[in-house]
Amino acid sequence: MVEGLSQPLNIFLLGLGGGFLIPLLYRFGKQLPGIAFVISLGGMTVISAICLLSVLSGGGAIDSYTAGAMPPYSINLRLGPWEGVFAFSVNIIAVLGAWHLWERLRASYAVLLLYLILVMGINGMIMTRDLFNLFVFLEIVSIATYGLLGTERTPAALSAGFKYIMATVLASSFFLVGSVLLYHVTGTLNIDQMIEQRAAITGPIGMAALMFVLSCLIVELKPFPANGWGLDVYETAPAGVAALVSVGVSAGVFFALFKLLPIFEQQLGVIALSAGLTFVFSNLVGLRQSKVQRMLGYSSIAQMALAVLALALLTELGAEASLPLVVGGIFLNHLFAKAGLFWLAGIINRQQIRDWGAVAARPSVLFAFAVLLIAISGLPPFPSFWAKWELVMQLAEGRLYFWIGVLLVGSLFEVTYMFRWFRQAIRGESREGGFTPALSRMLPVYICVGILAASGYYAATRAGAASIWLFAPLYIGGFLCLFERLPARARCALMLLAVLLVGIWMGRDVDGISQLFAALLLPGGLVVASAGLYRVDPRPGYYPLMAVLLLAIVCLLGASTSLEFFFCWELITLSSYFLISMRREARGHALRFLIFSLASAFLLLAGFGIATAANGTVALAAFEIAGPDAAAAFALLAIGLLIKAGAVGVHVWLPGTYAEADDDLSAMLSAVVSKVAMFGLFMVTYIAIRSELGLDLAYVMGWIGVLTTVAGALMALQQDDVKRMLAYSSMSQIGYIVTAIALMSHLGWVTALYLVANHLMVKGILFLAVAGIILRAGTRRLDACGGLARNMPFTFAAAVIALISMSGLPPLAGFGGKWLLLSAMMDRGWYGLVALGVLATLIGLLYMFRLGYSVFLGPARPTHQEVREAPAALLVPQFLLVTAILVLSFFPKLFMEPISAAIDPQFASTLVWEGMSLELIYGTWNPVPVMAVSVAIAAVGLGLMWFLYRVGRVGSAAPGVTRFYGFYKPVFAPILTPYAYAFWRGISGLVANAAGLVARIYGGNGQVYALYVLYYVAAIYFLGTVFAPEISSF
Amino acid sequence: MGLPVSHILLATGFLLVLIGLWGLLTHRNILRIIIGFSLIDTGLHIVMVASGYVTGGTAPIADKALPIGEATLRAVDPVPSALVVTAIVIGFSVTAVMLAFAIRLYDAKKTLSIDAFTESKW
Repeated sequence: MVEGLSQPLNIFLLGLGGGFLIPLLYRFGKQLPGIAFVISLGGMTVISAICLLSVLSGGGAIDSYTAGAMPPYSINLRLGPWEGVFAFSVNIIAVLGAWHLWERLRASYAVLLLYLILVMGINGMIMTRDLFNLFVFLEIVSIATYGLLGTERTPAALSAGFKYIMATVLASSFFLVGSVLLYHVTGTLNIDQMIEQRAAITGPIGMAALMFVLSCLIVELKPFPANGWGLDVYETAPAGVAALVSVGVSAGVFFALFKLLPIFEQQLGVIALSAGLTFVFSNLVGLRQSKVQRMLGYSSIAQMALAVLALALLTELGAEASLPLVVGGIFLNHLFAKAGLFWLAGIINRQQIRDWGAVAARPSVLFAFAVLLIAISGLPPFPSFWAKWELVMQLAEGRLYFWIGVLLVGSLFEVTYMFRWFRQAIRGESREGGFTPALSRMLPVYICVGILAASGYYAATRAGAASIWLFAPLYIGGFLCLFERLPARARCALMLLAVLLVGIWMGRDVDGISQLFAALLLPGGLVVASAGLYRVDPRPGYYPLMAVLLLAIVCLLGASTSLEFFFCWELITLSSYFLISMRREARGHALRFLIFSLASAFLLLAGFGIATAANGTVALAAFEIAGPDAAAAFALLAIGLLIKAGAVGVHVWLPGTYAEADDDLSAMLSAVVSKVAMFGLFMVTYIAIRSELGLDLAYVMGWIGVLTTVAGALMALQQDDVKRMLAYSSMSQIGYIVTAIALMSHLGWVTALYLVANHLMVKGILFLAVAGIILRAGTRRLDACGGLARNMPFTFAAAVIALISMSGLPPLAGFGGKWLLLSAMMDRGWYGLVALGVLATLIGLLYMFRLGYSVFLGPARPTHQEVREAPAALLVPQFLLVTAILVLSFFPKLFMEPISAAIDPQFASTLVWEGMSLELIYGTWNPVPVMAVSVAIAAVGLGLMWFLYRVGRVGSAAPGVTRFYGFYKPVFAPILTPYAYAFWRGISGLVANAAGLVARIYGGNGQVYALYVLYYVAAIYFLGTVFAPEISSF
Repeated sequence: MGLPVSHILLATGFLLVLIGLWGLLTHRNILRIIIGFSLIDTGLHIVMVASGYVTGGTAPIADKALPIGEATLRAVDPVPSALVVTAIVIGFSVTAVMLAFAIRLYDAKKTLSIDAFTESKW
């Protein structure tokens, strides 16, 4: 009985039967059609679920025959694993979509009928094995879609609907003639037989038939540039209908292409070309959009193109085993995320992106919104993330580097416009008031979020990466979300406790350099994070995200494969982004941070792809690249990491982010999070060392490091805002570390780690000290402070110690680090770099002195009479870090021995300093002479500057420190023109202009769109028949 | 008369398709555009029927005049004809839907010129 009911044919029985019953039932009672609709749709979903379960539990594909005859004399249907997953997920979406659209559906039984028939048609397109039957289902779907589009009576929606009809009727005409001609040449309409006899599809008629069918399927998927009609519908249709077209109808057409792909094996190159163009250009034009639904339309088209691209390329490469993870992942991800976003757009009901501030004060809506955006952008932990990873690995394996570029560029565009939308939503400056959607309206959206999370975990399992350990940051974050109603301090304490316990558990198996970093970053992170206790405002979501950030860092340090590394890397990026965007003023900077971070991540992805293809494994321990790929992999990885480190030229994201983030978060970003990029550089240079890659690249990296140091220092000197100054100082100090790593010698690496530790403590202290000053004195401007040493003696003491340590003056920890670095560079013969390093030291002394002097010494401000000492919650972490500096300074062996132990194995192969103990290093490289010389040079420079200042200052009043800095500001100004900002602004302007130019093709005229469709068919025809082999080969 | 009837039909059918395409691309009036689509449809139906024609073939009805064994040689292929019936039904529905849209479009703007319906762009 159950078996009989669960036969897939019953899906059509329910669809058609329900369809016929609905008008009839309406005669008997107004409520009856609704009930019949619910029963039919629910029944279809349940049947597809049962069938899918039966297939997955080993029952094999379910074949249904009709009319008492076997194919090809009758139509047959098949439900295998692919069909089952597609049909079931489309039906789920249909049920949720019906929930969303219920008000509209209930209003007229005709709409109920159309909806039901539409869903049945999609199921048919998925299951049928008969070409002509496929055409019939395609038409059923199309006509039902036309009907649904006609329910919206605005002129714009009607004209968009008409354009849609024109284009799709043309496309399906080609399908019709194509399928009949295919029957003519093969003598069958059964798809399986046709695939068997595909060799017979030759000659002018056969090829024309093939191209007609292919063109129809491609056109129905809305290829660039013949897709204006689709965009208009996405923009103007009711959100629920647009969602169904975007994910449901596209799913049917995509599946038709998927099942017919074997007969298009000569045309895979054409399909990939069309999909690649569509993916890049749709996302490009998406950048220009100001309307939510139109933007989602561009994204929908791009996502479907991505699925087609992956399908074509993987088939071409013979990597069919990856199809479930890649194509299935991209498809399901798009299905649930895009439908969720469309529904959300319908619920919020704000057409213009700029009006989305209406949801700013609704954490639960924002949460769902953020999850859907993360998913659609292909970021972890959602299915598309794992899919893109696998796709890049396969493409690298097949040496299709061009396509990797296409994939990453398009993805970056998409992330940009998606998160720009989010920025508007959190900005909260809508002209209208706030807006609270009812929970029942939001339910489908939340269900999508849940399904995405579950399928993300499943995809991770398929990718071989799912483990409690890897997902622990997310679990803890989710767990902490449960306590959001507690007071802020209790949540902060709870977060610290959770991170401490889980962090220790996660870090237990880590060894080598990773262990060293873990030993630094976990306690350092906890100490800095504990400063959050000084805030008593609610900060919704802050502490769970902080837990994710800190634990993801620990997780990254313990990663054993490049996939785990990349996963954690993205988690760190995302959690930092959301943390930064919590402060109103930081929102613009947060977006820039995200875009640069993701560009960096994509470079890493490409680099890992090439490295993995060269090694044949994703295990980090086995990374060793040889051959011509080595330099490319190293360069991609290094550039990616340098972007994240804020190297000069790509540093533009850094100052604003550090300056405008929450004060305690700035400390975290600068002290702890920036070290993650340093760890990555260690890892990558390690690869370079092991594969004995030419040291030229390392030399380049050394230069980049020193230039970053100098530029950072110069800009720090220019700042009047103390947080911006610290931000640039951070950049400058990171430059030293980069150079030290680039030395690729034992001494260089000891120095680098030493600098990492020192910078962590120093910047932690300084940013927290500044947080206290901002809290008490209420200003960040250097010239508005002064004499605070009297009011805030403890903060002053901590800051002085930090400044001394950072400037590299004896006797504190920085002393060892900086001069060791200069010695190591001298040793390498990098004299140019040494000279610049000394210059940077001079400038560093200048700005650090200015910081200490203008804030704590100098003339006191009358308004600051009442300023009190910073709260204990800020002072305690500072003094813990001070203690660490003192320990590091006076008992260096405690730190140096583990460093040495961690580094020695790394150099075992190329051993430069084997067996040399630390005392010996200190014996050989006594930092004192180098320091003495450098400080002398710096002092001379300083004297010279003071002299020039006295000479240059004509007839002015008493000399003062403020005036001294004021004098030098214009002096440095010419070399500090913000070239980098101008450059990146130029790039983004160029991209925006290109997008605007491309968008001009969408003039809105339906006839022109029909012409585009014809041109497109002609292009496919020529490319697919005449040039097919040439295109396939590239 | 060396020209088989199927070729004449094919030529006629494709000619109708081209006329229909020309019509829908050159005429601004939505009703004329819809007529263009109908012409394409009709042309395709003729092409489909023609594709199943066997020169000198008879109607595919198995009886005394056409034993089953000879059916494949002497009879016209019935499948395209069956398909055409379906295609005609579908074409009819599509035309009806287009006309319904035309009515609503006219109601909205009191014009049937396709140039008036370019609200969404870029």
